Amino acid sequence: MKKTHIVIVVLIAVLIGAMIGAINDSSSYANFEEAFENPESEFHVVGKLVKEKEMIYDPITNPDLFSFWLKDVNGVERKVLLHKSKPQDFERSEQIVLIGNANDQIFEANEILMKCPSKYTDGEVQSKESASI
Amino acid sequence: MEYIGEHLLIGEIGNLFLLIAFAFGILSTASYFIAEIKGKEDWRLLGRYSFWIHSAGVIGMVATLFIMIFNQYFEYHYVWQHSSTELPLRFIFSCFWEGIEGSFMLWMFWHVVVANILLLIIRNWESPVMAVIASVQVFLTSMLLGIYILEYKLGSNPFTVLTREHPDFVNLPIFQMPDYTSVLDGRGLNPLLQNYWMTIHPPTLFLGFSLTMIPFAYAIAGLWRKEYTAWVKPALTWTFVGIGILGIGILMGGAWAYEALSFGGFWAWDPVENASLVPWLILVGAGHLMLLQRKKGTSLFSLFLLTTLSFILIQYSSFLTKSGVLGDSSVHSFTDLGMTGQLAISLIFYIVLTAVLIFWRWKDFPKTEKEDHLWSREFWMFMGALILMISAFQIEFSTSFPVINKIFGTNLAQSAERVEYYNKWQLPLAIILSAIIAIGQFLKYKKTDPKELFKKLALSISVSLALTIATAFSFSITNPLISLFIFTSLFAVLANLDYLVRIVSGKIEHAGSSIAHIGFGLIMLGAVISTSQSDIISENTSLYDVSVLGQDFNNNENILLMKDDTLLLGEYFVCYRGKEKEGIFVRYEVDYMQSNENGELESMFTLYPFVQLNPRMGNVAEPFTQHYLDRDIYTHITYAELEEREKSEEISEHNINLGDTIFGKNTFLVLDSLNRNPRKDNRGLTENDLALGANFTLFDVQTNSHQIQPLFVIRDKQYSFSVPDSVPDVGISISFDGIDPATESFAFKLKESDPKYQEFIVMKAIIFPWINVLWVGCIIMALGTFLAVYHRIKRR
Repeated sequence: MKKTHIVIVVLIAVLIGAMIGAINDSSSYANFEEAFENPESEFHVVGKLVKEKEMIYDPITNPDLFSFWLKDVNGVERKVLLHKSKPQDFERSEQIVLIGNANDQIFEANEILMKCPSKYTDGEVQSKESASI
Repeated sequence: MEYIGEHLLIGEIGNLFLLIAFAFGILSTASYFIAEIKGKEDWRLLGRYSFWIHSAGVIGMVATLFIMIFNQYFEYHYVWQHSSTELPLRFIFSCFWEGIEGSFMLWMFWHVVVANILLLIIRNWESPVMAVIASVQVFLTSMLLGIYILEYKLGSNPFTVLTREHPDFVNLPIFQMPDYTSVLDGRGLNPLLQNYWMTIHPPTLFLGFSLTMIPFAYAIAGLWRKEYTAWVKPALTWTFVGIGILGIGILMGGAWAYEALSFGGFWAWDPVENASLVPWLILVGAGHLMLLQRKKGTSLFSLFLLTTLSFILIQYSSFLTKSGVLGDSSVHSFTDLGMTGQLAISLIFYIVLTAVLIFWRWKDFPKTEKEDHLWSREFWMFMGALILMISAFQIEFSTSFPVINKIFGTNLAQSAERVEYYNKWQLPLAIILSAIIAIGQFLKYKKTDPKELFKKLALSISVSLALTIATAFSFSITNPLISLFIFTSLFAVLANLDYLVRIVSGKIEHAGSSIAHIGFGLIMLGAVISTSQSDIISENTSLYDVSVLGQDFNNNENILLMKDDTLLLGEYFVCYRGKEKEGIFVRYEVDYMQSNENGELESMFTLYPFVQLNPRMGNVAEPFTQHYLDRDIYTHITYAELEEREKSEEISEHNINLGDTIFGKNTFLVLDSLNRNPRKDNRGLTENDLALGANFTLFDVQTNSHQIQPLFVIRDKQYSFSVPDSVPDVGISISFDGIDPATESFAFKLKESDPKYQEFIVMKAIIFPWINVLWVGCIIMALGTFLAVYHRIKRR
C-alpha cells in the first residue's frame, strides 16, 4: 500500500471519529418533562423566568448557589438550582437557556445563557432628556 | 404629518452611493467576465473603470454613514439604533460597525482597498480575478439594498429613516411634534462594546477576512484558465499577509475577551470565536501548500480545496454570525434581520461555483506519480496542512450544530463542558502540529538522512526536555498530555531558534519563517500553561460550610467579600475596601496584600473591577487585571448589589443619669462614668475645645462587652456638638447631645442598624501564569510573517 493511501484512510477515519465524538459528547435541547424522565443525561432547557415565584440568592451562605423557578416552552414550571452566582440583571432576562440535569424534583444547572431584551425588538423611544415617551 | 428639521438629503445621497456601488459592481463583474471569455482589451478596461466607480460608491457610502453618526442624525434608524447623545466621541467607530449593515460596509470597504492595491500590481490575471472580486462585492452590496422584490426584502438599508423602518412609532407622542428631531435621542451603544478593543479588533479582523478573498479569486481564475499552478506565485504573498493580519485580528478578539469581557480567559471556544479561527487554520494550511507547490509541486486537489475553503469559511462565518442561527448558543452573535436566506444564497453560490470548477477540472490536473519520501520536508509540510484541516473540521463541525439542527431536524446542543470537549480533540492535534513545526525546517526537500536529522535536532531536544521537566516540576504538572504538549511547543520554539542561529545565521531574508514558527510555538506554550495551570484562587476559601447543603459543589468559583473583611485567597490577603460611583461606572476597590517580614500586611496592588450601569441595555461588569511579567491576577465582580439598600436604621433618644442603662434592640449600654479630660487629638478636636466624654460599657447579644466613649464638645464657648462613637460589628453608634444641669441628666442619641446588612461583593479571582508568553508569541509570529512577506515582495 502506498503512503498516500494510508494517509487518506487515516484522515477519513479521524474525520469520522471527530464527527461521532462530537455527537457523542453533545447534549440536546429538551423540555422539563424529558429532562426529568432522564435524570442521568444533560439537557439544554429553554424557558422563561417565573417572576412571581421566589428567587433566592444568599451569597453570605454560598455565593455559588442561586435558585429560581423556570417555566419551559410547554408551560411546565420547575425549581432550578444554578451552581453559579446570580447573573447580573437576571430579572430582565427574556429567555433563559439552562444546561444541566434533573435531580429528584429540582433541575440542577451548571451553565446559563440569557437573552436580554434586545434593543432591536424593544419598541421604546428615548428623548434627549432620557425620559421614556 | 410634516416634520421639520429632518436631514433627508444626506440619506438620499447615501442611497445614491449605494445604487452606484451596486450597479457598477454588476457592470464590472459582467465586463470582466466578458473580457476573460472574449479576451478583449476594451471589456477589461470597462471592467476596471466600473470597479473604480464602484469603489467610489462604497467609500461614499461609508463617508455618508460616518457623517450621519458624527452629527447624530437620530432620524435615521441605524444612527438611532447604535448611537446616543451621551456616547463619547471616541466610540464613534464602534457605533459604525456595531450593526450588521455597518459591519458589511466595513468588509466592503476593505475589499475595495485591497482590490485597488491589487489592481496596481496585477498583470495578466486581471480579468478573471477581478470578475470574482467584483461578484463578491455585488453580493455584499445587495445585503444593504433594503428593497422589496415581490414579498421578499432584499438586504437591510443603513440609510432608512426611523419612522419608515418603524411605522408603529408614528403614533408615539414624540412623533406628534413636527420638530421631533430636536428632542429624539438614540438607543446607544451596547455597553459591552464601549471599549477601545471594539475600535481596533473589528477592522483588523475584517481586513484579514478581505485578504482571504484574493487567493480565492486567484484559485478560481487558475481553474477557469486551466493554468493550475501559475496563479500560486502572485497569490502566495497575499495569503501570508492574510495569515498575519487575520491572526492578529483573532488574537485581538482574545485579548478583548480577556481584558474586558467576563470570559475568564482569552479563549472560550465560543461559536463566534471559532467561526473566525477556522478560516485562519485553513488559510495557514493553504499558504503552506502554496509554498510547497512553488518549490516542488503538491497535490493540486488539496491546494485548490484549502485555498478556496478559507474564503468560503469566511462567508460561512458571516452566515453563522449574521443570520441569527447561533442565537441560543453564542453570547455575541447578531440578531436576525431576516437576511438568512440571502446570506445562504451568497454562501451556496460560491460553494457550488468552487465545487463545480474543481470537479470539472480534476481530470485535467497534471498528475505527479512520484511518492513523497517519508523523511522529506514536503511530506511533513503536507501532513501539517492535513492536521490543520482536521483541527478546523473538528471545531467547525461542533460549532455548526445549530445549522445541522436546522437542516436535518436534529436536536444537537453543545455540552456544558465546552472547553474540556474542544481541548480533548485539539490538544493531541496541537502536539503533533508543534512537533512537525519543530522538525520541519531541518528536513530537506526530497530526502533527508534520518541519522543526520536527529544529530541536528539533538541539542534542541535535550534542552526542551530539560526545560519541560523543570516546568512540570515547578507547576507540579502530572497530566502526561499537558507535559508532552509543553515539550513539543518548547521543542518547536528551540528547534526553530537553533535553525535561525546555526543555519540561517544572520541572513535576514530567510529568517521570516523561523521567526514566525518561534512565535507560533510561544503562543502554544503560553496557551497551554496559562490555561492548564490557571488557578482560581477565589474557590474553596469560603468561611462558611456549604457541605451542609448536601450538594457537591464542584464549581465554587466565587467568593463573598464583606466590606473591610480580609480573606486569604491563594497567596494573597484580599480585602474589599468599598465602592465609588463615577458617572455610569461603579468601581470596586479590591486590595491585594501580602505579609512582609514583620508579619504585617502590606498592600501589593489594588484592583478596580467595575460595573457599567446601563438601565436600557443592562449593567455590565468588567474585570480588572494586575499584570506581572510571569503572571496575571484577574479579578471580576460576579455579583454586587447595585441599588443602595435602605439602611434599616433606628434612632432613639435617651435622657439618663450616671449609672443608668440604655436598652437597645439587641444591646444595652451602661453609662459608667464621665471623663472630663478625654483624649482630643485622635478625635479631630483641638486643645481649646472643651470636651466631656461619656464612658459606656456596651453588651451585645453574645454578651461581649465593648468600651465606647461619645464626646460632648463646646468650641470657642459658642456652640456645642457631639463626636459620636460606634461599634460597627454590632451596628451601634451613639452621640452625646447635651447636658441638663437642672436634673444632672445627659442626652444621648442611639443609632442601631442591622450589622448583618453590610456591603459586600461576590467576585472571582484567577491567576494566569505565563500568559505574556502567549502575547509575545503573537507579536513574534506576526513580525516573522511580515518579514517573510517583505522579502518575498523585495525579491520580485
